[in-house]
Amino acid sequence: MTDTSKTVLSIAGLRKSFGANEVLRGIDLAASDGDVISMIGASGSGKSTLLRCIPMLEIPDAGTVGVGEDRVSPRGGRLTRAEEATVRRMRCQLGFVFQNFNLWPHRTVLENVIEAPLFVQGRARSEAVDEAMALLDKVGLAAKRDAYPAHLSGGQQQRVAIARALAQHPRAILFDEPTSALDPELVGEVLKVIRSLAEEGRTMLIVTHEMGFAREVSSRVVFLHQGHIEEDGTPAEVFGAPKSERARAFLASHFDRNRQG
Amino acid sequence: MEDLALLGFGPDGWGKVLVQAGLMTLAVSVAAFVVGLALGTLIAWGRVSGGGMARALAHGYTAVMRGVPEILVIYLFYFGGRQVVTAVGTALGFPGPFDISGFMAGMLAIGLISGANQAEVLRGAWQAVPKGTIEAGRVVGMSRFTLFRRVIAPQALVTALPGLGNQWQSVIKESALVSVTGLVETMRQVSVAAGTTQEHFLFYAAGAAIYLAITTLSDQLFRLAERHSLRGHQQGGM
Ligand SMILES: Nc1ncnc2c1ncn2[C@@H]1O[C@H](COP(=O)(O)OP(=O)(O)OP(=O)(O)O)[C@@H](O)[C@H]1O
Ligand SMILES: [Mg+2]
Repeated sequence: MTDTSKTVLSIAGLRKSFGANEVLRGIDLAASDGDVISMIGASGSGKSTLLRCIPMLEIPDAGTVGVGEDRVSPRGGRLTRAEEATVRRMRCQLGFVFQNFNLWPHRTVLENVIEAPLFVQGRARSEAVDEAMALLDKVGLAAKRDAYPAHLSGGQQQRVAIARALAQHPRAILFDEPTSALDPELVGEVLKVIRSLAEEGRTMLIVTHEMGFAREVSSRVVFLHQGHIEEDGTPAEVFGAPKSERARAFLASHFDRNRQG
Repeated sequence: MEDLALLGFGPDGWGKVLVQAGLMTLAVSVAAFVVGLALGTLIAWGRVSGGGMARALAHGYTAVMRGVPEILVIYLFYFGGRQVVTAVGTALGFPGPFDISGFMAGMLAIGLISGANQAEVLRGAWQAVPKGTIEAGRVVGMSRFTLFRRVIAPQALVTALPGLGNQWQSVIKESALVSVTGLVETMRQVSVAAGTTQEHFLFYAAGAAIYLAITTLSDQLFRLAERHSLRGHQQGGM
């Protein structure tokens, strides 16, 4: 699947601190068209922070983030006006799926999906609705088009959130632990949708604690430790023969825990 | 009951002017409330997401308006405002005389006071909007304004409705103060009627009934709006 001809997402020299807490200490990472990269690592290793730095939900202290032809290198933890415009263009080319779904509670399922196409991208309503319905159908929720998020299960809400991300026509989709807030019996339905996206050849960066899933869908696995990328390879390499002691320890403890749970 | 005929719509009745006065109270109140809502939104914006300057201005404004008696603000606008308008008008070379209507002064004064209070309600409601829903808006590329209009305002309004309902009730009651400008609203009209007929109890009671009718009715409207805005929000609704 890895076609290195086209870089969709690039991160270089990324650094981010919260006060004295240095969370990202120089991250380099690039995704080519069709890459499915899973990011794993212990709690607090900086996975969410890294993911959130890509659409500048957190503004890095140093480094460059590029999406498609657009790139920014913010300095001093803030964006200039010009950078803000670039960041908005970058955001329009990304889909972001949050751990807690973050659907807009005052809008129905369908309204959640057509919101950005209508009010950010200015597409025609009928076209946006048709496309949204096709996306909802794909995640198995066309029948819920007029329901409000509060009336859906967590798994259903996350699937709507994925449809909302797809409505962006994203070049890459970022997932921050998309199943961690779900009851165990609802995890499967969401993973199934993400798996189907991988099969379509979508470019994705997925933070996850679901090791089995990561191993199965990823073209690449990245292990983050204390703000550094410690391992970067195919699932077979990282899961089968981790180079660093820390990755080995992390994986051992993780598979142990899974076996016990 | 000759007394009650005084409230009727017959030749000796005050019914018609009382209804007109009630409508005037409603008109001043609505205008003041809208001024207050616009201003309150601006101040809340300044306090929540403005820079240091906007924040300080908004804070100062709220402090002043909350610390000064309403009646003084009305006098300031009605009498003071007339002076200012005259001075400015003369300086610009317009021929006089200059005037500010009681309606204008009263509406502005009460609107400015209400704006400070509504800002507090709106600010609280704004800060209660779930952070994640705002991030979801930013991450799809919404501009600040779109984010406010499509994500923040609709959610904040739901939270703010009960508080805004209280502010509306206050505005209606404060509108009685505008009677000092000579504007013929409910308060003014009933005191004129009471003085003319010497039926003080009857007319002030009628005045109370008019205010009560307006507040009760609008309370119902706010409740309806609240129920409507809550649809889909909580499981099972409210
Ligand atoms: N907004 C913030 N302000 C201050 N500190 C933060 C903030 N966000 C994250 N941190 C800190 O940064 C570090 C990394 O957090 P991050 O959420 O990126 O970790 P993570 O790898 O996603 O962990 P988890 O697996 O628990 O989600 C933690 O020490 C966290 O406390
Ligand atoms: Mg995290």
